[in-house]
Parts: sequence; structure tokens; C-alpha cells
Amino acid sequence: MDGVFTNLILGFSVALQPSVLAYAFAGCVIGTLVGMLPGLGPLAGISLLLPATFGLNPIIAIVLLAGVYYGAMYGGSTTSILMRIPGEAASVMTCIDGYAMTQRGRAGPALAIAAIGSFVAGTLSVVALMFLAPTLASFALRFGPPEYTALLLMGFFVLSYMSGGSMLKTLAMAAVGLLLGMIGIDAMSGYTRFSYGLIELGDGIGIVPVAVGLFGLSEILLTAGQPTPPAIQRPTLRQLIPSLDEIKLSIGPISRGSFIGFLIGIIPGSAHIISSFVSYGIERRMSKHPERFGNGAIEGVAGPESANNSAATGAFVPMLALGIPTGPITAVMLAAIMVHGISPGPMLITQQPELFWGFVASMYVGNVVLLVLNLPLVGLFVNLLRIPYSYLYPTILCFCILGVYSVSNSVVDVWIMLGMGAIGYVLRKTGFEPAPIALGLILSPMLELSVRQSLAMSGGSYGIFFHRPIAITMFVAAGVLIFLGLKPLLFKSKDWREKVGLED
Amino acid sequence: MSGADQSVAGAAPRGVRSDAVAGIALVLIALFVGWENRAYPIGNLAEPGPGYMPLLIACALGGFGLLIALRSGNSPLFNTLDWSEGRRGMVMLVACGVATFALERIGYRLSMIALLIFMLGVVERKRVVPTLLVAFGFSFLSYFLFATLLKVQLPLGPGGL
Repeated sequence: MDGVFTNLILGFSVALQPSVLAYAFAGCVIGTLVGMLPGLGPLAGISLLLPATFGLNPIIAIVLLAGVYYGAMYGGSTTSILMRIPGEAASVMTCIDGYAMTQRGRAGPALAIAAIGSFVAGTLSVVALMFLAPTLASFALRFGPPEYTALLLMGFFVLSYMSGGSMLKTLAMAAVGLLLGMIGIDAMSGYTRFSYGLIELGDGIGIVPVAVGLFGLSEILLTAGQPTPPAIQRPTLRQLIPSLDEIKLSIGPISRGSFIGFLIGIIPGSAHIISSFVSYGIERRMSKHPERFGNGAIEGVAGPESANNSAATGAFVPMLALGIPTGPITAVMLAAIMVHGISPGPMLITQQPELFWGFVASMYVGNVVLLVLNLPLVGLFVNLLRIPYSYLYPTILCFCILGVYSVSNSVVDVWIMLGMGAIGYVLRKTGFEPAPIALGLILSPMLELSVRQSLAMSGGSYGIFFHRPIAITMFVAAGVLIFLGLKPLLFKSKDWREKVGLED
Repeated sequence: MSGADQSVAGAAPRGVRSDAVAGIALVLIALFVGWENRAYPIGNLAEPGPGYMPLLIACALGGFGLLIALRSGNSPLFNTLDWSEGRRGMVMLVACGVATFALERIGYRLSMIALLIFMLGVVERKRVVPTLLVAFGFSFLSYFLFATLLKVQLPLGPGGL
């Protein structure tokens, strides 16, 4: 315990340096703006900013990108509440009751509770991260290839079980992502696979063009040409104060959202999106008056907003402790630190204590900055939404091209982004979630390496996965999830989405 | 909400379901990967080759695709999906493609100016002055921000423009 606090003091000595503080602030402001703009989620924002971090030191780079990440979580809620436009996917659930509150003249309290809930969840989850990540990192030293295989496979099954859509479709998309991740040079044999003579594909397909295409560009293709959004309300500082009843009603959802969000966040998948869906469903299920949901229930804002912020922090646990990105966002952030020659993994915390603890401390600072930014300055930020979308989306398109090109100065990457944009558009039209593709792409090299190393270790026996306690535990968990996923088909029972009230 | 999320109420109309089309497409992708994978050694279980995992994943994908196609009964009819933004989306993609092709030939600033003039002036039918202001303003400001301040290398066009 003493060690944690000593390290935290070290972290604050890093995070409170003027240069780090300035970049944390800049990251939060950029993130808030990115979160508010439809078509630019945290992933696209981080991807576009990635090349700009190459010249910075690794601590500043990761602090800046983390600021963008959780800034976008905050910013997304503003447009959801005021305009019913989710700036990013995790804010979809906030739209439902947040906008209903706006229509009833309670936009101010909805914004305040969203910001307070995000602050509380963000802070609690940083405390959990601080204690859990070093413990997990030391535990992870016992992990060999079979354990990594089991962990990665379990992540896919958790994602497919928890995602809002069909389990089969999620797994199919993850398989497509895994195949995309196999393009390029095979690390074990040196063979170049599926590159069709293109030198640029030798290193494989990068996450940035795929992510910007699947999420940023496809969103623009879907939304461009739609009618202009409704008029924007700008609540004053006085109107932000919630009533005593609203505060009382929010305490439970904020606590539960923080807990659920963090737990979901540490498992690979689109954690921040899933967590807000799960939190909303649970709050509606637990409410004595579920009929209020959809008509402006403050719990429907407090829960999902806390959950998605908590999940955003939880996602950093496996990233920092195991070197495993839980999704495209953490993958891009890992790329940002790997560019500086730092290897992520269990040894990161001991070998780079300034980076880890400086990052943790900067998250405390970032949460305070965001609370200050998002309450008094909300009226200022919403002015951005006055820019007509017909002017906004062409410039976002240019930003997508600029950001993707500048990562590796490759036109091939821009072509990949355009292709992925078209694929993302078709997938969303046909009811397929594109997120598992990005996750599969990121985890593919790790999964392939761990499977092949495990088989080599065991002389070709799959039994190695079932003789090691950590691996078998994770496989049993994955098996339970498969069973739960299939149960509604086999026994005509309700699945979790129906039970938490998401499907009525 | 996508059309695929809408359940079909009452008597199911006849026709090809969207999930059936998607499932068959996934099976075809799996078959294609399996076919292309012939070029790489599969190895054996004790020493899996570079073709081992792609084949394993392609088999899984084919299986998922088949199941999606077989369980497509509740998905909407493929021809009822709303593709109303498709035409505009296609124009945007082609415009971006042309700008990408031009990027290393005429430079970042000129290609972005051309793309923005096309998107704002032709697609969105905005007036000339705001279109030119946004096009020139965006390309020069973003170049200054990324190339000059943040030292990101961006391609230059004729005359260093």
C-alpha cells in the first residue's frame, strides 16, 4: 500500500510538470470537441492525432492521447443530451433519457449529472487501475503462450456475448478481423502472406486506416445529406444545478455504472460502448418505475455516462499490465508508446515507473480538468455545433485523409481507409457491427503467435490448453459464455438483453 | 437503426433475406482465403506453418457464414434495405479516391483544395465565396498546423505548393 502511494507521488511529480499539464489540458479540450462532433469519435480523434505525438516524449504522448480519449467520453454526452446526436457510439444510450430531459426543460441537470457521474466514475476507476494494474502485471509474469491464447479467445467470446447484436455476427466479424491481421510477414516463418506484391502490405494492415475507415468514414457516409440538426439549447450555470431528488436518484446508478463499467472495461472488446448499454439495461431493470425510462429518467443518464467513463479507464488495465490492447483505441495508444522504443507488457510498470505512474496521476488531473471544462464552459462548446454539417463533414473527410496518410506517409493506407469506409457502410446497413473487425485485426498477431507457440511447446497437442490452471479457467469462462449465448436458441429462454430490458 | 434490426412482423414475405446474402458473402470470403492459402505451408500440429492459422480462421468464418445464412429467417428482405444515402456516399468515396490519387502528384494543399471545392461547390451546392474560403482556409491552415508546427511530412506539389 505504501509503495502505491510513494509511486503515486512520483506520478504527480511527473503529471504536474507544466508541459505535461498543458498537454493533458490540450488533450481534454481536443477530446471534448472530438466527442461532440458527429462522425469523429475518440478513435478517429486519437488516430488523427497519433502522427503529431511522434515528436513528443512518450509520457506526454500517452497523456495527450488519454486526454483525448476520456475527453471524448465527456464530450459525446453533451450532444446526446442537447441535440439527440451521439457524438460517439458510447453516448447512444444517453440520448434516450438525456434528450427527453432537455425537451422537459431539464437539460442543465442532465448535463451536470452526466459530468459529475463521469467525474466520479473516472476517479474511482483510476483508483482501481492504480491498485489492480501492478497486481495483474506481477500475476501476468506467470502467463505463457497457452494463457495468452485463452485470454484472447475469452475476450472474443465476452465481446460476442455482451455486444448488442447477434453472437454469430460478432464472431464472424472478429474472424474477418483476424484474417486481415494475417496479411503481411509471418513473424515465425518470414513468409509474406496475402500481400499480392504490394510492399506496403509487408508490415500488415495498420489499425489506423481500418479504424478511421470503419468508424469515421462510414459514419460520414451514413449521415451526410441528412437534415440539419434541431436548434441547440445553451443552459446557463444556474440552470445546471440538479434538484435534491435528482441527486438522490443518481447516486445508485453512478456507483453501479462505475463498477460495471470498470469490470467490462478490462475485458477485450468495445468496452465503453457495451458498458453503457449494459448499465442502461440494469438501471431500467432495477427501477421501481421502469416506465420513466425513455421519458427523461435521470438514472438513464447517470448510469451509462458513469459506465462508459469507467470502462474507458478500465481498458487501460490490460493495456498497461499485459500489453494487450482491449480495443482499437488502446491499440493506437500502444502504438504511440511503442514508437518511442518502449515495450508494453508486465515489465512496463517496473521498467518505466515514471510513464505508468505519471499516466495514472495525469488521469486524476484530467478528470478535474474535464469537470471544469464540461460544466461552466458547456455553452461555449456547443457553439461548435452551430457550424452547418454540410460544411463540417467535407473537412472531416479531409482530416481523415490527412490523419491516415501522415501515420506512415503511405497512399496505400488511404486506399485501405476508403475501402474500409465502404465496407463499414455496408456492414452497418446490414446489421453487422464493425468493431470486432478492428479488435480481430489488433489481436490477430498475438493470437497466432501464442497458438503456434503453444502447439510447438506441447509437441502438437491441444491438451496444453487444458492442463494449465489459468488457461483452463479462462476456457471454462469462455465455454459458459458460449452456453449462455446458445441457451435462448436451445431452450427458448430470454437472453441478457431481454432480461435487462433492452429488447422490449 | 439499420434495416436488419427491424423484425419482420406477421406473415413473412418471400424473397432473399439480408442475412442470407451476408452469410453467403462470408462463405465466399472464407473459400477465397482457403484457396489463396494454398501458397503457404500448413505444417503440422507440432510445427504449424504460416498457412495454418489462416486456414483455421477461414474454416471458422465459413462455418459462421453458413450458420448466419441458415438462420436468416428473421432478417429483413435484402431488397427492402434502405440505401438512400448510397449514391451520395459513392460520390464522396470517388471524390476522396481522386484526391488520394492526386495527393502525391499535385501535393497535399492542392488536392485538398480540389476535394473541398468539389464537395462544397458541386455536391453541397454552396456559394462560391464560402466554398473558396473553406477550401483554401482549411488546406493552408491544416498544412501549417501539421507540417509546419507538428513536423508531419506532407507531400508538396508543383512549385513547392
